[in-house]
Amino acid sequence: MEQKKIVGVTACSAGIAHTYMAAESLEKAGEEKGYDIKIETQGSIGVENELSQKDIEEADIVILAVEINIDMSRFFGKRVMRVRASEAIRNPDALIETAFKEANPYGEKGTQAGIAKMGKTEEGGFFQHIMAGISYMIPMVIASGLILAIANVYAFQRDEAGRIIEWGFDKTTMMGELMSNLFDVGQVGFLLMIPLFAGFVANSIAGKPAIAAAMIGTYIANDAEMLGADAGGGFLAAILVAFATGYFVKLMKKIPYPKIIQPIVPIMIIPLVSTLVISIFVLYVIGNPMASMMDGLYEGLTTLNENYAAAPVLIGVIIGAMIGFDLGGPFNKTALVFGTAVFTDTIAKYGIEGANFVPQTATQAAISVAPLGIWLASIIFKKKFSPTEKVSANSAFGMGIVGVTEGAIPFAAQDPVRMIPAFVAGSAVAGGLASGLGIKFYGGIGSPLGTFVGYIEQPIPFVTWIFSVLMGVLVTALIIGFTKKRVD
Amino acid sequence: MIKDIFKIENIVFDSTAKAKIDALKFIASFAEKEGIVKSSKAYYKGLKKRESEVTTGFKDGIAIPHCKHKTVLKPSLMVVKFSNTVEWDSMDGKPVQITFALAIPEGENQAHLKLLSSISRALIDEEFTEAILNAETESEMYAIIQEKMDKVND
Repeated sequence: MEQKKIVGVTACSAGIAHTYMAAESLEKAGEEKGYDIKIETQGSIGVENELSQKDIEEADIVILAVEINIDMSRFFGKRVMRVRASEAIRNPDALIETAFKEANPYGEKGTQAGIAKMGKTEEGGFFQHIMAGISYMIPMVIASGLILAIANVYAFQRDEAGRIIEWGFDKTTMMGELMSNLFDVGQVGFLLMIPLFAGFVANSIAGKPAIAAAMIGTYIANDAEMLGADAGGGFLAAILVAFATGYFVKLMKKIPYPKIIQPIVPIMIIPLVSTLVISIFVLYVIGNPMASMMDGLYEGLTTLNENYAAAPVLIGVIIGAMIGFDLGGPFNKTALVFGTAVFTDTIAKYGIEGANFVPQTATQAAISVAPLGIWLASIIFKKKFSPTEKVSANSAFGMGIVGVTEGAIPFAAQDPVRMIPAFVAGSAVAGGLASGLGIKFYGGIGSPLGTFVGYIEQPIPFVTWIFSVLMGVLVTALIIGFTKKRVD
Repeated sequence: MIKDIFKIENIVFDSTAKAKIDALKFIASFAEKEGIVKSSKAYYKGLKKRESEVTTGFKDGIAIPHCKHKTVLKPSLMVVKFSNTVEWDSMDGKPVQITFALAIPEGENQAHLKLLSSISRALIDEEFTEAILNAETESEMYAIIQEKMDKVND
């Protein structure tokens, strides 16, 4: 008779003692009974003796002696017995016997999951695809964001009076020339990262044939010129396009194609048809509503602008909230454009004394809040961030500190329901405080450092600005800390 | 290797503890005295919290109280033998005679965690636990543990 094979996983809440005791006792009992047994431990040391796909395939039964949620997906269709870790320590012999008799295939109808939480498989879909896209996007966000951030530092010029700072590179010097080019390099990365994200979300839903349509469609949705709009759709549009593409391609795959054309379906027919359909969908269906949404926003803000003198706090709050809402998307860009427009228009009309600084100051106070808030949350609430998230949070700090709000995008895309309100609230606080306290932002970096690298007029030198921005950062970090779930 | 986390001074006999709480308190103050933890109070709280999640009582009179806490200065194993048996809500219902207490600092390195995990594994070996329970002196106990650890960690 062939030797039966058992695989298993042990994990307890502390990951210190019971994980290993359970593993040892299962291994010992299994070997004594003549089984081929392999137990993976997920403890404080990390994963040890990891089960390979082959191990799982070969196994007759799977024993999970776990007290925390583990990834069940790799055991799909296997006969799985799930118990508490202490069960495996107390009586491993009986556990193995029961498992052979009673373990049911996991994931099929009528599965007795015991204490297992099946949440993961239910919520699966949407977030799994988003996460897949994010994992491909992050390296590009980090590389291009940091290059942009470095270049940005060199982008401020003072006039002879040392007062007003003009944003732009002094291309007469070699350094200025280089930094200006690097700035463009960073911009290319930002241009590519959102289509890249969408491409891999679609890939996660429907495989390679979906990549072309999702990337091209998303590029169009972010190209204001092609849409005839003032700004692109940002990553919210990317999600929409990616899912539309993914499910469209999935449908296309179900068509019973004649045998003779089957080989060219995935490399030609599906990419061609889906790219045509999605492009037209973006150009004629979602492009226009986006543009009119933008117009409506701009009009609303102009109306508010007429009352700005009476309501700087309100304006600051609204502008700040817009900055944090979509992190470089249409709302964010509208606010930025509006801030700059109001500032330059009023300075041209009334001179520096009569210029309206309110919206511009609010945008710049708010712009670093989301990435810095994420970073601060990852420092205060360590247990709520996975190692990968911590790396992302650190790079968000690098971007946030030089006023690049996009550093927070990976988090917003991954968990929009929790993150976006936190970003909006913190950014609104920073915007409202900066405007309400009468700060005048002439130019510089939109971050706490702006008071050193830039020119900002404020009631208490340095302090008022830093205070306003940091209050926003703190609000964002706290909201994230209180709403984000712990990482197991 | 094992010396990094376990010395003969880490073995102690106690005749005062009558209940689990006393035992944990004793372990905590012993840990402070040996310079293993900074605050016995914090370590005691950590141990108690861990117990409240799931009992660390094993079987045959052995328990393995443990926690990971920032008050821990160096990763350690402490072996405490109680002359009064202590009720510990064990897996086999038997009161506890010996505890293998683990102290783990935050962010501890892998090598030490591995040693500590091998102690947990060793407890499954009945020959080993029997020898420990029958040992009468610190040096006897130390020799048994050291031998076992050398065997599994080479």
